[in-house]
Amino acid sequence: MFDAVFTNLPYLLGGFLTNVQLAAFALAGGLFLGALVGLGRISKRPWVYHPVTLYVNFLRNIPLILVIFWVYFVMPILTGRSMDPFISAAVSFVVFEATYFGEIFRAGFQTISRDLVSAAYSTGLTYRQTAAHILVPIAFRRMLPSLITQSIITFQDTSLAYVIGLQEMVRRTTIVDSIEVRSIQLYSFVAILFFVICFIGSRISLHYEEKSRKAKVL
Amino acid sequence: MLAYKFDWGVLWRQPYGEWLLQGLWMTIQVGALAWVIAFILGLLFGTLRASTWWPLRFIGALYVEVFRNIPFLVQLFFWFYAGPMLFGKTLQFKINSISGLHYYVAVVALGLYTASRVAEHVRAGFASIGHGQYDAVLSTGMTHLQMYWYVIVPHALRLIIPPLTTEFLTIFKNSAVAMTIGVAETTFMSYKIDEQTFHGLEATTGAMAIYLVLGMTVVKLMNLIETKYRIPGLVTR
Amino acid sequence: MIEIKNVSKWFGDFQVLVDIDEVVERGQKVVICGPSGSGKSTLLRCVNGLEPYQKGEILVDGVSLSDPKTNLYKLREKIGMVFQRFELYPHLTVMRNITLAPMKVRKQSRPAAEKKAMALLERVGIPDKAAAYPANLSGGQQQRVAIARALAMEPDCMMFDEPTSALDPEMIQEVLEVMIGLAKDGMTMLVVTHEMGFAREVADEIIFMDAGRIVERGSGDEFFKNPKSQRTKDFLGQILK
Repeated sequence: MFDAVFTNLPYLLGGFLTNVQLAAFALAGGLFLGALVGLGRISKRPWVYHPVTLYVNFLRNIPLILVIFWVYFVMPILTGRSMDPFISAAVSFVVFEATYFGEIFRAGFQTISRDLVSAAYSTGLTYRQTAAHILVPIAFRRMLPSLITQSIITFQDTSLAYVIGLQEMVRRTTIVDSIEVRSIQLYSFVAILFFVICFIGSRISLHYEEKSRKAKVL
Repeated sequence: MLAYKFDWGVLWRQPYGEWLLQGLWMTIQVGALAWVIAFILGLLFGTLRASTWWPLRFIGALYVEVFRNIPFLVQLFFWFYAGPMLFGKTLQFKINSISGLHYYVAVVALGLYTASRVAEHVRAGFASIGHGQYDAVLSTGMTHLQMYWYVIVPHALRLIIPPLTTEFLTIFKNSAVAMTIGVAETTFMSYKIDEQTFHGLEATTGAMAIYLVLGMTVVKLMNLIETKYRIPGLVTR
Repeated sequence: MIEIKNVSKWFGDFQVLVDIDEVVERGQKVVICGPSGSGKSTLLRCVNGLEPYQKGEILVDGVSLSDPKTNLYKLREKIGMVFQRFELYPHLTVMRNITLAPMKVRKQSRPAAEKKAMALLERVGIPDKAAAYPANLSGGQQQRVAIARALAMEPDCMMFDEPTSALDPEMIQEVLEVMIGLAKDGMTMLVVTHEMGFAREVADEIIFMDAGRIVERGSGDEFFKNPKSQRTKDFLGQILK
């Protein structure tokens, strides 16, 4: 029944691998930048707080697909060379998803008592050391369920790189479909594949939520 | 960087400026119609999810999990490319020759997808209503259906206006994905301008401004609704 | 070692410290008491630069806190602080809680820092808890770890902000014993507390603060036997019941 899928399996899965790679880059960059954005959003220094807030509020009003286009148009102008779709997509994702990770980190930071930060300072740690060793690790652990949920969304979003021609799963599916015209099989396959990954991911997130609720350690 | 000549006039020169505005109108239409579907279905499935009878809960959960865990783009392509085939060979050709098919498919697909998210918010709204309220209503002799219709649902709806605002904003953003099947909305138009003029940077920047304005308008609108239906004494923020 | 000269602080329009004058010599133990909201915690926070002050001057070993050239981080290495709610880092073991600052700020090696940490844990009486997480410890144990953490930076002075107020009664004594031990070893101490027994035994000077002002100060017995101001008398009457 899924014969069109099986004959093209390596090709399709190669595309899926691209989604995974793109997601990996997006998560690594997005989490790192997101932690910084979160710190910026709780900063008391206006020259940090306002630009970061502007950046977050701006990007949250705009469709990701438009950001992907915009970066795709802007990068050749900045670098003077034509742009590899993967790099362009990776940059778009890091910049975009960092706003969502940033808000999650911010919420996490705000659960950390002011006195805990004071305790760290009173042993002589600098802001950077406190942020790196105390704020970020604690917020990360506390917000793990939300971070996992957002990561799943990011993984789903990688399908949008389709629009700049990236050879990821959806584009390869449409290419195969134009030859084989076995649309139901092919699109069901990609849907099921995403479903399984994301469903497992959401179960993991629920598991951590239950675990942290029971332990109440952190 | 300076090898590129900026041409911001592209945004208001005819016909390009008009294209963008037409795109905006399409974005609004698609988003608003999909929202109607999403709201009704989301209310339905969210209520199912909160039901005490497990078969109903299961149906609700099934819907939400399926539509939440598949990327919207994939769903859209499924309905558009594979959907007509589900009706068999004869109907398939009839469906595919409907003019404006992509428009209808986009609205329905977006509605179905967003409904799963609305359902989750509805369920959360029900969950945050204390158990005592259910008992209190039932003890006055109302049936379950009456209880939901007259007390629980109105209460829950007011509670979830903030997250629903977010979903309403999101639906306009997700409408941009419909450009991939040819729906002539804002993002589609900005891409089309690039095809014609090679000034995609200016066009997409203009599109960004349009989405910003749209977003702010939606938030203002929802704030008005929230103020009108506010529950006195309830601290939400 | 610490000089507080005519310091005033405002939170917006509200004046939380009013013309505070105090000198703490090396080796001295000063206890501050008073009703909640009197500014005691705020004063402590000003001394190690966690809070700024608008008027007056605070000098630590001759260095002014309000001088923009002053490196507040270096200054905080000299003054250790213990908090009411212990504030241990929940995601790190006891050992790591203590060794974090020495390793990152003083760049000590791990073996050296851990050796020092174990010695401190012995001193506060719980060497066996080195590998435990804060959540596994009782309140009294956590506070003792907090003291060890502050001592790890070898401060010249230790400040305590109501260290026993969040503890169950049966655990207060174990913490006070550690503090008395510190006092006997000659540590300069600035302690905000309601534990008058401790104050009687250890304090060279007791200060009573109310509404941001120092209302009365005296040495040990004199303070308790002959309080001069009525407010002091009322307050002591409440506490010493």
